[in-house]
Amino acid sequence: MKNIFYVGLAQSFFKRNAASLSESAVTQHPIETSKEAGEKSGSKQKNGDESGNTVVVAPPEFRFMYPEFLPDPTMERRNKLKEKLERMDMLQRRSIIEIPEFYTGSIMAVTVADSNSPNKFACFVGICIQRGGSGLQAWFILRNVVDRQGVEILYEMYCPLIQKIEVLRLERRLDESLLYLRDALPEYSTFPFEMEAERRLNNSVVPINPIKVKLRPRPWLERWERQNLQGVENLNLPQRYYDRAKEVAKPWEKYDLMLQYRKTIPAEEQEKIYAEVHSQLQQQDLKRKIKRRRGPSSEQ
Amino acid sequence: MSTVGLLRTLFNPKILPSNVTQLQSLNRSPFLLGFLFNHEQVRNMSRVKRRNTHPGYWLPLKNVQKKDDKISADNLRFVREVIQDKYKNKSPLKGSELQIEKTEWDPKTKRSGVIARNIGRQQMWDKDGNKIVCTVLHVLDNHVIRYIPPEEYVKTSRGAIHFKNKTPLGCLVVGAEATNPEKFTRQYCNLFSEVGLLPKKTLSRFIITPNAALPPCTPITAGHFLVGQAVDVYGKTVDHGFQGVVKRWGFKGGPASHGATKFHRRGGTIGTGRDKARVWPGTKMPGHMGSERRYNRGLMIMRINMKYNVIYVKGTVPGPTNSIVRIFDTLLPLRKLKEAPPHPTYFPPEDGTQKEEDIWDSSLHVYGSPSISV
Repeated sequence: MKNIFYVGLAQSFFKRNAASLSESAVTQHPIETSKEAGEKSGSKQKNGDESGNTVVVAPPEFRFMYPEFLPDPTMERRNKLKEKLERMDMLQRRSIIEIPEFYTGSIMAVTVADSNSPNKFACFVGICIQRGGSGLQAWFILRNVVDRQGVEILYEMYCPLIQKIEVLRLERRLDESLLYLRDALPEYSTFPFEMEAERRLNNSVVPINPIKVKLRPRPWLERWERQNLQGVENLNLPQRYYDRAKEVAKPWEKYDLMLQYRKTIPAEEQEKIYAEVHSQLQQQDLKRKIKRRRGPSSEQ
Repeated sequence: MSTVGLLRTLFNPKILPSNVTQLQSLNRSPFLLGFLFNHEQVRNMSRVKRRNTHPGYWLPLKNVQKKDDKISADNLRFVREVIQDKYKNKSPLKGSELQIEKTEWDPKTKRSGVIARNIGRQQMWDKDGNKIVCTVLHVLDNHVIRYIPPEEYVKTSRGAIHFKNKTPLGCLVVGAEATNPEKFTRQYCNLFSEVGLLPKKTLSRFIITPNAALPPCTPITAGHFLVGQAVDVYGKTVDHGFQGVVKRWGFKGGPASHGATKFHRRGGTIGTGRDKARVWPGTKMPGHMGSERRYNRGLMIMRINMKYNVIYVKGTVPGPTNSIVRIFDTLLPLRKLKEAPPHPTYFPPEDGTQKEEDIWDSSLHVYGSPSISV
């Protein structure tokens, strides 16, 4: 029984997150066998323990939908009690404001309370180029081009000044970090402020945008040729750049198990963390869905 | 006057011979300044040896070898049964069960402190939206082991040093982190068995006025402190090991390029050739950095969680995460307690009505409350 569970885990994991895995040879079409994925990974799964007690486990996508619940993997700074208390605070904040699922490459609109703006609220629309932090320090950076000036704003997800976070277009890109948009042509980072939320036809799988971005001519802010970027068009650099990149590259790191172990939280701990947290998150989600459905009718 | 004499009078203004004022006016002339090469460093011998890292001579030498008791499995099982019988069924003592004299708190009272563990840092926001970084301190299972009255404490070697020219005060011995008695010697366990407690890993002495005395076996929890109160936190700073002069003393080192040969992070000169003609004791050089006793004073308590016994303190605390610290009421005169805190310590109400589980400071934004609109 356990084997089936893990196979199911692996399948749904790959279907949702194929392109993000640098080592995986599997590159599946994003919109595919959605029914299967829905069946296996949709609702919470109950797995039987050896003793016969049911152990409630969160669905495996939680790892990608709510990555900030996982603590910083540095062992010297970890403490279970502190992480537990932090998670409680995070859930409290989430009960007030909806922090939706998003990935780098999604276009979002954030409304923040601002004493200096005319109507006391400032709204910013942009594409999420990077996301990081764990716990209450989780942050993301939105980028947009306003009046031909590139603007990036770092938002802390749990800051109480944030009134609303809305995902206008939920999608992923071929890279985990889109910092190269700073050196790309401005049209790739421009999004209108009046953009409206797009409705997704297929809710179970997050689409991957396979766009290849064109960069401006050099000089650049970083050495993009050394970073193995998938979402960038052919850089057209002289061969010596690529040769030097090869000399400087560390191809053995993908075989370094200890490096990966130190950078991540082990799967068993992740399961425990999400098991603790998922019932509350699902309840909050349900409440919001009901409110949304009732919303127009209650306003009448 | 010789250069040495000049230097002496310049750097030791307390010595006042009749011709000092003359020298001071000469002092400002460019001739003299040029002669002295704008030499600003004041070197004195007061802090010759900062500290050492080996433990004090009065502490027992630690023998960290694995014990080879050669105890049979049956006997080990028997020992464990005895431990179980001795220590189980110990319910936490309530305030009414303990015999505590009713004493009044006054601003000159020194209360007991608390042993806690620094479990990390968490950020919170205040009602204006400003971020406040707080250190999370987990108050461990503190129990009073013994109270030593002032007359007795002064006779001990430590007490004699402490109260050499001051009025003697009492000493409260508090222990934290109950552990398996198998890990300790019989003598160490006896310290606690007199009181009926499991042996504690950490012990601490807190100097208190006699009116704040507590009987043995009293539990001390996070409720001992008030939200909004200022505390001093004692800990041993992060051990950086053997460090160079740039990190240890903040020297600038040398240029990274422009032809600098082997001089990037070195100290440079360690003395003049003329004056004293040797390296002065206390000269800043590479060496062991960190693992020093420090007090961070006047830290404000922003939030107390009574259920988990956790205190959130504004600012940072000496020592790395998961290290033991001691917390006391602050000594700083402007931040001292003005109203009575739980004296001599806090006891939860016995009629079952729990006070608030999570107490926040009034300036903080509570996470469950609506977003701030400015």
